[in-house]
Amino acid sequence: MVMQEMDPPRETHILLRGSYEIPGEKVDAGVPEDLLGKWPEGAPKNRLGLARWLTKPDHPLTSRVVVNRFWQQLFGQGLVKTSDNFGLQGEWPSHPELLDWLARDFIDSGWNVKALMKRLVLSSTYRQDSAASPELIARDPENRLLARGPRFRLPAEIIRDQALEISGLLKPRVGGPSVYPWQPPDLYKGIVVAASYPGTTWPESKGDDLYRRSLYTFWKRTVPHPVMNVFDAPDREVCIVRRASTNTPLQALTLLNDPIFIEAARKLAERAIHGGGLGYAFQLATGRTPDPRELRALQVSLEEMRAAFRKDEAGAKALIAVGAAPADASIPAVELAAWTAVTNIILNMDEVITKS
Amino acid sequence: MECRNYSRFTSRRDLLARTGFGLGAAALHSLLGSTPATAAEHQFPNFAPRAKRVIFLFQAGGPSHLDLFDYKPAMKGRFNEDIPPSVFGTQRITGMVAQQDRFPVAPTMYGFDQHGQSGQWLSDRLPYTAKIADDICVLRGAYTEAINHDPAITFMQTGSQLPGRPSFGSWVDYGLGSENQNLPTFVVLNSLPGNGMADQGLLSRLWGSGFLPSRYQGVQFRSAGDPVLDLSNPPGITPQMRRSQLNTLATLNTQLHDRVGDPEIETRIAQYEMAYRMQTSVPDLVNVSSESQHVLDLYGPDVRKPGSFAANCLLARRLAERQVRFIQLYHRGWDHHGGLTDKLPVLARDTDQPAAGLIMDLKQRGMLNDTLVIWGGEFGRTPYAQGTMKPDSYGRDHHGRVFSLWMAGGGIKPGYSHGSSDDYGFNVATGGVHVHDLQATILHLLGIDHQKLTWLFQGRQFRLTDVGGGVVHEIIA
Repeated sequence: MVMQEMDPPRETHILLRGSYEIPGEKVDAGVPEDLLGKWPEGAPKNRLGLARWLTKPDHPLTSRVVVNRFWQQLFGQGLVKTSDNFGLQGEWPSHPELLDWLARDFIDSGWNVKALMKRLVLSSTYRQDSAASPELIARDPENRLLARGPRFRLPAEIIRDQALEISGLLKPRVGGPSVYPWQPPDLYKGIVVAASYPGTTWPESKGDDLYRRSLYTFWKRTVPHPVMNVFDAPDREVCIVRRASTNTPLQALTLLNDPIFIEAARKLAERAIHGGGLGYAFQLATGRTPDPRELRALQVSLEEMRAAFRKDEAGAKALIAVGAAPADASIPAVELAAWTAVTNIILNMDEVITKS
Repeated sequence: MECRNYSRFTSRRDLLARTGFGLGAAALHSLLGSTPATAAEHQFPNFAPRAKRVIFLFQAGGPSHLDLFDYKPAMKGRFNEDIPPSVFGTQRITGMVAQQDRFPVAPTMYGFDQHGQSGQWLSDRLPYTAKIADDICVLRGAYTEAINHDPAITFMQTGSQLPGRPSFGSWVDYGLGSENQNLPTFVVLNSLPGNGMADQGLLSRLWGSGFLPSRYQGVQFRSAGDPVLDLSNPPGITPQMRRSQLNTLATLNTQLHDRVGDPEIETRIAQYEMAYRMQTSVPDLVNVSSESQHVLDLYGPDVRKPGSFAANCLLARRLAERQVRFIQLYHRGWDHHGGLTDKLPVLARDTDQPAAGLIMDLKQRGMLNDTLVIWGGEFGRTPYAQGTMKPDSYGRDHHGRVFSLWMAGGGIKPGYSHGSSDDYGFNVATGGVHVHDLQATILHLLGIDHQKLTWLFQGRQFRLTDVGGGVVHEIIA
């Protein structure tokens, strides 16, 4: 976004009782200097001045807030858990000295985000195992003391992006206008009035644009994409710094049944059949090889699904027809469907949708 | 750099509310609320509730109080006269009529009569509502601050004209939780008018949870296809295969839990089982074949038409029976700027019999005592005509200064009329009920002190009733 300051700036008044028809006292731009420090000498009273004030090396909040948000992104929660509130109603940092040190270091590095991220992910705190004994979980259920590695459910966008990536469907193209991946075709029915102006229909994308990262998905605030919605993506009506992370049956239904994830399961099945089998599919999804018990459970399931689809070839064909990407014709329908039913399980594993 | 601006002055409830998320035990209170209302996470109800659940029959578009509930004999015979300036005052009017030279009185063309022992005044467009006149309490002095649909509906549903706040049902879910393990706590049902003409769209954010966690958002039950999105198995996956898949999944997740120890995994396993149960409970809910003809007849002929207001009223009763906490219906098409006399009878017909039938059905099952039903829209309509006017053909603009709605059951005084408008149905005369008062009263009936139901966001304790609202004790039995 580009904006230009008006010259001279527009006069601004307090609007009495909020009414634009009753202008009160004339006011100028300013900041709470007594609380957060003086406006820089000679800085203009506009957004440039504000930016200079915010990034003064002795500003008490900016770098702490920023560092804390990157910490939150990596660890699931900030050192100050109320990352959206450092004020009187916010929480104390769990490690105040660490926060201060990181904040100072961040300023001294010239606000180098990449260096900060590198420092965080290479720390031994971050690299700890997420596993914990029942005693440890009982003593520190929220892991505020960081005696174990972070473990939290992935954000909505990444859950979809990851399914696309694991299955090989993801198109990593960067930039460009928003895209319209699959959503239920009747989603707007009974809600959105059909009209000639934009935004009343969902012009589903074709080809590669179906499989772009979720950050490129067109966002209709009044009726957001249901997969994003179900996994706690905010509706973007107000600014949300800290997302809730819920665990609901609707999430289970989405991952189990939504065509986006069924299509991804089928493409993952194709990769597995042509590649290293079930163990390979498991590895693509979790980043580790399955242990023998896990592999055995998946193999048993595959046998069951094979037997079931042998009796229902029409069902097998229907399952592998879900999604826009064509099914690999070199694999018999029954076989591909049976594998799809198993990779469907893999994509639903807690480990897959959880960062740990 | 010193960290001075921190405080430990957070309340116990803040702490519990905040630490609840991402934790296995507390997360068990889920969208499908496996935690009963007494969960430690909540301190509600604050006192004995009169209502256990709410059915909100929202009439989107702004039904005309002057043609339905608010009898104005003084307007009769004043067709095409100007509204006196003493009544009109200096009030804000919408841009749609701002260009009109004058604001001529448009008396209703419908007959009004008194009904029941209570002598409730109702228009002849509401013959079935007349039959429940002694069960309902009509609020004739309701008023709102907004003058257009989106802000006005948002105001009614969230307590703020600006989007971003949690919906009414989300607040109630957050406060009280669920008493049903297999269905969502907050369910939304939409219907279109019988003439198919809905001038205004809806917004799914109206049942969004705003800044509350998304598990409190309303779940829309759809009338065609899957009643809940992604409820059905994909094609080719039979229920037996799904069961087998879930068993394998549970095995894998249990092994993971044994190794990692995170209680969130146990919650996830439980949620998959709940999803599986929902695949049965939701189709059972929407399958009305077991309803007797006698009951179906109460709701009128449209009850067999999926997605109609009548069908949704019947579903609302079935949801209420299953202890669903907040059932939000939307019926659209009340925005009668022009041709009101053609359109209003259609909308009245759509809603009159089903809403009355719902009350009678709840009553015969002994459920009206603890089920609160509300019928009303975001505002009323002007006593002056918009556009060209004939005695039997006129339109009315939006009007928030006063309007009518009715409530029944759940501790509401039956056969009662509260508040009134002036001779033109333009301003509140007595018993004004602001939208926040209405919200405070509904929460009160649910046993919630509206000033205590709060959520800390952006440094402020937010409430459904924002910074206002008072309980209207006069309408409580």
